[in-house]
Amino acid sequence: MNLQHSGEERIPASPDVVWAFVSDPGKIARAMPDVIDVTVHDPTHVDAVVQVAVGPVRGKFRLKVELLPDPSRRRIDLKISGGGFGSAVDMTAGADVVDAGDGGTLLKWSGQAVARGPVAAVGGRVLDAQAQKLIAQAFGNVRQQLSLAGDVHG
Amino acid sequence: MSTEQKPAGCLGVAMKRKEDPRFIQGKGRYVDDISLPGMLYLSLVRSPYPHAEIKAIDIGDAMKVPGVVAVITGKDLEAAGLGWLPTFHGYDKQMVLAIGKVLFQYQEVAAVFAETRAAAADGAEAVQVEYAPLPVVADPFTAKRDETILRPDRDKKTNHIYHWEVGDKDKTARALANSPKKIKERIWFQRCHPAPLEPCGCVAQFDTMGRLQFYVTSQAPHVYRTALALVTGIPEDKIHVVSPDIGGGFGNKVPVYPGYVCAIVGALKIGRPVKWIETRTENLTSTGFARDYHMDVEIGATPDGRVTALHVATTADHGAFDAAADPTKYPAGMFGIVTGSYDFPTAHAEVDAYFTNKAPGGIAYRCSFRVTEASYAIERAMDILADELAIDPAELRRRNFVRKEQFPYPSSLGFTYDSGDYQKTLDVAMEKIGYRELLKEQAEKRARGELMGIGFSTFTEVVGAGPSKVFDILGIKMFDSAEIRIHPTGAGIVRAGTKSQGQGHETTWAQIVGEELGLDPQNIMVEEGDTDTAPYGLGTYASRSTPVAGGAIAMAARRVREKARKVAAHMLEAGEADVEWKDYKFQVKGVPARSVTMKEVAFAAYTNMAQIEPGLEASYYYDPPNMTFPSGAYVAVVDIDRETGEVKVRRFLAVDDCGIIINPLIVEGQIHGGLTEGFAIAFMQEIQYDKEGNNLNTNFTDYLIPTSLETPAWETEKTVTPSPHHPIGAKGVGESPNVGSPAAFVNAVIDALSPLGVRHIDMPITRDKVWRAIHQAEAMTT
Repeated sequence: MNLQHSGEERIPASPDVVWAFVSDPGKIARAMPDVIDVTVHDPTHVDAVVQVAVGPVRGKFRLKVELLPDPSRRRIDLKISGGGFGSAVDMTAGADVVDAGDGGTLLKWSGQAVARGPVAAVGGRVLDAQAQKLIAQAFGNVRQQLSLAGDVHG
Repeated sequence: MSTEQKPAGCLGVAMKRKEDPRFIQGKGRYVDDISLPGMLYLSLVRSPYPHAEIKAIDIGDAMKVPGVVAVITGKDLEAAGLGWLPTFHGYDKQMVLAIGKVLFQYQEVAAVFAETRAAAADGAEAVQVEYAPLPVVADPFTAKRDETILRPDRDKKTNHIYHWEVGDKDKTARALANSPKKIKERIWFQRCHPAPLEPCGCVAQFDTMGRLQFYVTSQAPHVYRTALALVTGIPEDKIHVVSPDIGGGFGNKVPVYPGYVCAIVGALKIGRPVKWIETRTENLTSTGFARDYHMDVEIGATPDGRVTALHVATTADHGAFDAAADPTKYPAGMFGIVTGSYDFPTAHAEVDAYFTNKAPGGIAYRCSFRVTEASYAIERAMDILADELAIDPAELRRRNFVRKEQFPYPSSLGFTYDSGDYQKTLDVAMEKIGYRELLKEQAEKRARGELMGIGFSTFTEVVGAGPSKVFDILGIKMFDSAEIRIHPTGAGIVRAGTKSQGQGHETTWAQIVGEELGLDPQNIMVEEGDTDTAPYGLGTYASRSTPVAGGAIAMAARRVREKARKVAAHMLEAGEADVEWKDYKFQVKGVPARSVTMKEVAFAAYTNMAQIEPGLEASYYYDPPNMTFPSGAYVAVVDIDRETGEVKVRRFLAVDDCGIIINPLIVEGQIHGGLTEGFAIAFMQEIQYDKEGNNLNTNFTDYLIPTSLETPAWETEKTVTPSPHHPIGAKGVGESPNVGSPAAFVNAVIDALSPLGVRHIDMPITRDKVWRAIHQAEAMTT
């Protein structure tokens, strides 16, 4: 099952702060919804274990995340693959960190994922809606973590 | 001498099933009921990818799961020479555990053995497999382009598996070209699954003598033993296969599955018994599917509706391996029955099969090999022709039936039909359903804009594979066998090479023996499924039990009777030639008062045998001279809700002609069950894959099994045209209702929608498809 989403997210923090966040493997991994465990291997590779619940399909996903940062363009691309309980997901995502002009940052992002196995078959009917919820949750986590770090301005 | 009354005959008696008290009290003994000391449980790691390279398999975490004892992978099996197993079709092989890459979603990748079922499942979850996705081929038409070669392990670097054809191609092409009327339609019989309520499973144990004790859900235990000997190298005498009670098979339990091989390897490697019971999802996603035939059907005809030629070109989706359990010389099974009940002067049928990234299979789901596909194609096409010619579909069938005086009838596709009276069967159906009244009602409803349909299916099956000159599985000829021993008290035991999965063999086999020997079938024990005790037979599938094993049982009983005649002659102090079997006892010719019953003879055979060899037993290996050809006339009446597309099957009548009936109660039950499965196929069931190769019907939420709420009330009737070559004239019936009914349902729906111009809808006919068809048709006219 193919999923494609894109959008713009306004983050009340400076582009420098947002870029530092999204290019940090540990921080980006911990921003994943329902993350259980994060293991950072190097500046561009991190493993994460997340709790997944799509309809009646529930379990843990082990994900490998590769970061492909382009500091000159302030663009970050991510490759995420993994799975669990007989399911698999392969995802690519990218985001441009853009100065919003008001001290804040515009994160222009897009992502596509292919889900396979029970998560696609059984959870397929709700997967798209669930993905949107997870995306919102992820950006909420980004804001929250930046806020906790005191990097968000009002 | 005997003063007993003549015993009643046993054929045609609606005896209650001897096995049912056991089953309805929950006392059946299935594979999962078997628990052995020290037994381990097997769980299989399966691929979420339909096509991917396996980069690495890490079993480290799995081995840390408490209770996990061992994990094996495809490489382990390959090193032991067990990486692949031959499919029953004989022309292909299947990976036991994936080696190098996976070819379908849910393919077996690793096997985890653990102390408990839960630990095995946890261990399987902990196995880490790194995949690199490859392009997915999700349909046979994409496969045909050979842009991605799925099976580089084969010499032939193409996705094309085989081309098979039968009939006169040129003559058929000429006849079609010259036919004043023609119809052509692509008719798809969707991929579906037998979904027996008991999934597949096994328990493997090497006993203290090093002998493999293998309990398994097999419809063909003897073939399993031979196949296991060939795959594993274990001598066949060191393999004991037992099929205990089986909770439905429908063809799904014919193939040998990777889980079986893994269980045996685990039991050998670890030295402990291993149980493997698949889950519902595993059953639906990895074991033998059925159908998936895309059939381009073309019929030529005269303006007055006489058929002149038939051509069917089929594109078959076989999935990742060619695991269709067809006889060696019949890669497309008995698809040559596609001329059906009709006298086609010429015909040509061809099948091209392709590999795709789907589960392997192509098994005979409650039908003889590929007969349901063929029957559906011709019965749908005849209705399309009737619509084209504006001839009543029953009348079109009548004009083209093989007439009863034409039997034995050589069809233009090579079969010799044994017997039939198709017109009579249709007449019975039309009378009983009240066809004239229904037509009148339909006309009135159509005038009011209501949608009511009447659908026919007047099918002919070919079952009972089969004569050894042409039929074999893995080279083993498709005979079947029986051994009968009558004990001193007149009780007895019959052992057969078949294996009941709900068909009622414990009753019907006893009735055949009772009929042939004048004994009480209640005291004839039937034993099947144990390769140590049962004679070698090819098993129960493709409607072959009664046509083949039933023949073996009757012939073995007749051998017992011949031995008994010697004993009777001694008892009656008459020459053997002067003793005849009449009214279920032996009597001196012309002197009915001087007679002995078989029960008396049995006692004498052990106590008063004079110069005759003691005992009373015989065996018979029956090689049928021909197939049998059951037939039927089915009528469905449906009403369709124009607003919602909901189809209500108001009536369904099945008139079956299966030759001599052994037990009408069991036949009735078989027909009810088969019609219910046919109903499910017509309206509910499809194993769907999306274009990424995801199986979308992995459980009973998405693959529907009809309950009593949805299932129509069935009406049944019969005609009896005995098979002239079968020892008791029987033809078999278990699969007729599944073969014949889908077309009747679909024909009824299309008949209802025909005023809107709808010509065909592929199964399953769900309400959204009907709703769309109605709205599209209405949009065209407004």
